[in-house]
Amino acid sequence: MLFKADFHIHSCLSPCGSLEMSPVDIVSTAKAKGLNLIAISDHNSAMNCPALHELCANDPDISCFYGMEITSEEEVHILSLFDNLEAVIAMSSLVYKSLPEIINDPDKFGDQVAVDAENNIIGEAEIYLGSPTSFSVSRVVELVHSHGGLVIPAHVDRPVYSLSSQLGFIPEEDFDALELSKHYVLRQKDGIRQKALLNLENYPLITNSDSHYLADIGAVYNSFETDELSVNSLKKILFSYKNSICMA
Amino acid sequence: MKVSELAGKLGYEIVTEKYNDNEIADGYTSDLLSDVMGNAPEGAILITIQAHKNTLAVASQLDFTAVLICNNRSVEADAVETALKLGIPILKTKDNQFIASYKVYCEIKG
Repeated sequence: MLFKADFHIHSCLSPCGSLEMSPVDIVSTAKAKGLNLIAISDHNSAMNCPALHELCANDPDISCFYGMEITSEEEVHILSLFDNLEAVIAMSSLVYKSLPEIINDPDKFGDQVAVDAENNIIGEAEIYLGSPTSFSVSRVVELVHSHGGLVIPAHVDRPVYSLSSQLGFIPEEDFDALELSKHYVLRQKDGIRQKALLNLENYPLITNSDSHYLADIGAVYNSFETDELSVNSLKKILFSYKNSICMA
Repeated sequence: MKVSELAGKLGYEIVTEKYNDNEIADGYTSDLLSDVMGNAPEGAILITIQAHKNTLAVASQLDFTAVLICNNRSVEADAVETALKLGIPILKTKDNQFIASYKVYCEIKG
């Protein structure tokens, strides 16, 4: 089966995500844009993954992975993807506990709302989710892998919160792929020359929309064929894309 | 001024048991390693709160004489291991970066 996948979508749980980004509306917008595989990947919490799970379990036209964009102590954003809801919830709880105890002020940072599959607000994350965890990049790699997930440093080409901005280089770690931002991929498509990035050739590359608004969903996506949707099969597919420019 | 002498004068703990006790020529204060790589002078003492092994990778590339970790942040085990391999001393203090920079500046440039 051919999949068109956008793995990096923020919901209304992320303080920077628009309140319109409920799992219900994310799923319906993704389908309208022709996607059949998505992940909600909020900052440092997977509180909206159960709603996504419920919506996709009852919909033959779309499937999902469960994501989280984890902030390392170096303030590097790292996308993590799971195929098991319990695993992502366990990882989310570890991540949440490692955040500094700064209570979120919605007026300053934005709302952090958890919703169910019927669009009802069921709670909110009390601690500000935009802070870095106490985990180093290496520790994030270890923890995500031990929970059965994939580790993909986010938007490596961007001047903020990326491996290149925070460290200045791509460290030798067991990354499953690197994510290029839609800015990079769309400019490349338009034939605009991009600043050369170091060390990209050593990893599979994917691209995601990193949407904070419904209109951004599916702006870029990854397409691939597989009969089995799981972290393991995705890992194999990613590996087969090693050294190629992009899955999109 | 040598690293051991600076640590002694300021009462800063040296986390790494073995290290090269070199002369500190200069200093640089930053928590963004890409900034350190672009702008820090070679042979400096790096004053930072980033207590992980990637800091040591950058320190080794720029031949830093020492890394000073502020705010009493705990230094990760793999960072200590890397530092021992490279011979780069890791120092630690409860001073923040502002105070530590002032104190170190006074010692090496004052």
